[in-house]
Amino acid sequence: MSFLTPLFLIGLAGLAVPLVIHLIQRERKQVVQFPSLMFLRRIPYQSVQRRRIRHWLLLMMRLAALALIVLAFARPFFRGSDPALAASGGAREIVLLVDRSYSMGYGDRWTRALSAARSTVDDMSAADRASIVFFGSATDVVLRSTSDKARLHSALAGAQLSAGGTHYGPVLKLAGSILAESSLPRREVVLVSDFQRVGWCGADGVRLPDGAVLTPVPIGESETANLAVTPVSLERSTFSDQERVTVTAGVVNHGPAARDGVDMTLEIGGRAIQTMRVAVGPNASASASFAPVTLTGAEIRGSIRLADDAMPRDNAFHFMVSPGRPVRTALVDRTAGREALYLSRALSVGDAPRFVTTARPADGLTADDLQRTDVLILNDVQVPAALAERLGRFVERGGGLLIIAGQRGTWPQERAASVAALPGDMVDRTRGPAGRLVALEYGHTVFEPFRSPRSGDFSAARFYGYRALTPQADATVLARFDDGAPALVERRVGAGRVLVWASSLDIEWNDLPVKPVFLPFVHQMARYLAAYREPEPWLTVGSVLDPGRAAAGPADIRTVVTPSGERVALDPEGGDVVTLEEQGFYELREGATGAGPAATVAANVDLSESDLTPMDPREVVAAVSGSGAELAGNAGTVELTDASREATQRLWWYLLFAGALLLAAETLVSNRTMIR
Amino acid sequence: MTLSTATVPGARFVDPKVLARIGNLELVARSVVDGFINGLHRSPYFGASVDFAEHRGYVPGDDIRRVDWRLYARTDRYYIKEYEADSNANFAVLLDVSKSMGFGSEGMTKLEYGRMLAGCLTYLVHRQRDRVGLVAFDSDIVEFVPPSAKHMEVALHVLDRLTPSSPGSLRVPLNKVAEHFGRRGVLVLISDLYEDPDAIMEAIGPLRFRGHDVIVFHLLDRAELDFEYADASAFEDLESGEQIPIVPEALAEQYRELVRAHINALTERFSANRIDYTLVNTSAPLDHALFSYLSTRERLTRVR
Repeated sequence: MSFLTPLFLIGLAGLAVPLVIHLIQRERKQVVQFPSLMFLRRIPYQSVQRRRIRHWLLLMMRLAALALIVLAFARPFFRGSDPALAASGGAREIVLLVDRSYSMGYGDRWTRALSAARSTVDDMSAADRASIVFFGSATDVVLRSTSDKARLHSALAGAQLSAGGTHYGPVLKLAGSILAESSLPRREVVLVSDFQRVGWCGADGVRLPDGAVLTPVPIGESETANLAVTPVSLERSTFSDQERVTVTAGVVNHGPAARDGVDMTLEIGGRAIQTMRVAVGPNASASASFAPVTLTGAEIRGSIRLADDAMPRDNAFHFMVSPGRPVRTALVDRTAGREALYLSRALSVGDAPRFVTTARPADGLTADDLQRTDVLILNDVQVPAALAERLGRFVERGGGLLIIAGQRGTWPQERAASVAALPGDMVDRTRGPAGRLVALEYGHTVFEPFRSPRSGDFSAARFYGYRALTPQADATVLARFDDGAPALVERRVGAGRVLVWASSLDIEWNDLPVKPVFLPFVHQMARYLAAYREPEPWLTVGSVLDPGRAAAGPADIRTVVTPSGERVALDPEGGDVVTLEEQGFYELREGATGAGPAATVAANVDLSESDLTPMDPREVVAAVSGSGAELAGNAGTVELTDASREATQRLWWYLLFAGALLLAAETLVSNRTMIR
Repeated sequence: MTLSTATVPGARFVDPKVLARIGNLELVARSVVDGFINGLHRSPYFGASVDFAEHRGYVPGDDIRRVDWRLYARTDRYYIKEYEADSNANFAVLLDVSKSMGFGSEGMTKLEYGRMLAGCLTYLVHRQRDRVGLVAFDSDIVEFVPPSAKHMEVALHVLDRLTPSSPGSLRVPLNKVAEHFGRRGVLVLISDLYEDPDAIMEAIGPLRFRGHDVIVFHLLDRAELDFEYADASAFEDLESGEQIPIVPEALAEQYRELVRAHINALTERFSANRIDYTLVNTSAPLDHALFSYLSTRERLTRVR
């Protein structure tokens, strides 16, 4: 027997306390003078004996209770073989978990893993049943609880490495559920893996059923050296009206030796463009920027490649570079944009996204303008009923409409269903304290960037006049003035969005345009109304692709072509998603035949997997083992840690319980003695 | 006779209350005792009394007043009519002053009780014109007042001075008493008799064999009889100083049993040897105890 916290055994010195009390108690006893002990001495032996026995019993109970409690605190456990292990015999239910994350492609790991799995299958007796689960970032139950060795072997033979990372939690949970359903007496999980540290993020409540044994089969080597590319960063710039992208790529050295002369090659559209040579120190990273790439109209495929090493999967990084898609805005006012100086200036600034602004007078807005506009801004415009109807349709179709009430802005009453709020009478705040913006809806997209402290102060702006807005029933008030009047009202109409601003966006009625928050505020409103999303240059293997959203425009994606050339037909109704399982470029095609790609998505492996740092398999065993489970000695003779031994045996609980019980009994006995 | 408590120190042991109760009683020797003065006790000699003893033939020198003339008239022979002589007796109190007698659970120790008992008896027998003496002993004789008609006050003095000082035993002092008291008399032994019954008999036997009328007052405190102790404690022997841890509740019953057996053994042995034995519980009033003893003895004497 060993102890987890042997220091607590010092507490055994406390055993002296009842002894001392006993002794003191005896010494303190009063002396009764008695004429003669002649008769008492005739029964002394017996009487003293009886008295002692009773006291010894109490003393022993107290000492034993104290000792038990002290022992419980010392957390004892047995090092001997576990009863669950000793009780061999009976059929086994084996769940064979084989790691097929791409780190298993390092060297000959995969071959060794498969042979270890095969030997586990070979060791099965006729009554044993086994399940095979391949796992990476996803789990794949290949065979479930069969005793047919031929099928098991063929399942192992057909196994292939995936491009995913390692996640132990889900697969162990799955193994636990398979074991829980089993009726066989001995249950075992064999985990064949390289035990990467990055794949383990705590047990997360995963626990194998009681009595189940987890046998880790570590495949990894002690010394590993691996180079991996890091995710690229794309920096856009505009040079003589042409958009250019500068690609910066990095390389990480997960190894103890420094590497000189690592070649990084940038491929654009499948052709090598440039090669950079960098030097990387041990366990360090280096980066290099390639020459800018000028973007043409279409999106282009880019890749960064390193020379092959022991693990080739993380030596390539794919990305898509698409030309920036500007947000088209139409600024409508009485004088075709001359009044909205601040607004048009604000919209002319910005790279991601760019705003392309066209100014139109209120009566000169053509259907073509509406067709080519993402966001329409009505600055202080009296809208006639006909225009209101057209704008209503524009919004319903998915357009964004910003109505700046200003001094004269109106909206016909009968078309009120198309907007968020109707501007009413003017509120004059030139007398008395000026109005301020309060009660901003920071949870909304428009105000979200200003949420954290010191990221924009709207309360600095003074408002001397604004229009009283009457919001629609289903409209949301995003901001209010300090008197409670709505300042900014938002409403979704059909597929589009409408914002109504109660004041003006020039310096006539307020000084907001000269405040620092003005520019981001206008940009946020325009982005929101245009439903603008940053294009994602790449996705990670294991994530889910929604083909409808991946395409740049409204496209009818019917087919997805995977990097390996496999065609995946999608449900024509839409709503199908594709799980990215391979590294490379996924092509999304329109129609059943799919002539040319409507969009391309780059998929990269999870680069955290390239960190091959191993962990101690005992950590996994200790975390997921149920009570009574212990490690079976196998390829890696892995020992349980003392703490997990103690945790599974939980002797302290019984000791504490026995101590408490003994104390209760002691109370009873001593009470009885006193009463008698 | 009056007794002045102011003049005699030991007079406090003569409790008027007790005397008032026992004043009309007598402590008469059951057996024949030696004495010179006409008294209450039977004498080994014939003398002047009203109790006819026997006739015997006249021998010259006899007092002719004692010739039974009626018998001479019938038988024509001279017979002398002899009468039982009544005598005064040697009376001695043998008071145990061993340490164990110093025990008293309720105010009065056994020794004090014994002193009062001795004082009262001394006074009583002195009034009967008997000679009073006193022997105080523990393991040996501590004080000795030889029996004399004039020694009552001395005896009371001595009683007053007695203190329990050392452990006691009966055999040595009583054997000495037996050797010393040549004349038969009444001996009152006042002790707590903490010895084996056989040892006690061995000690008292010689007194009895010498013809003394032995009266034993066995003084025991109520605590000794009932043993009503509650707490477990160390019990210390007053005589030896030895301590034994005792849980009274556990062995009270056994103790009482042993004491009863001891008293029964004593009663049996004493009655077999015609020794008067009285167990006196010192918590009972002395007058009551003494009265009941004396009246019983008187009654038994008459019956006999």
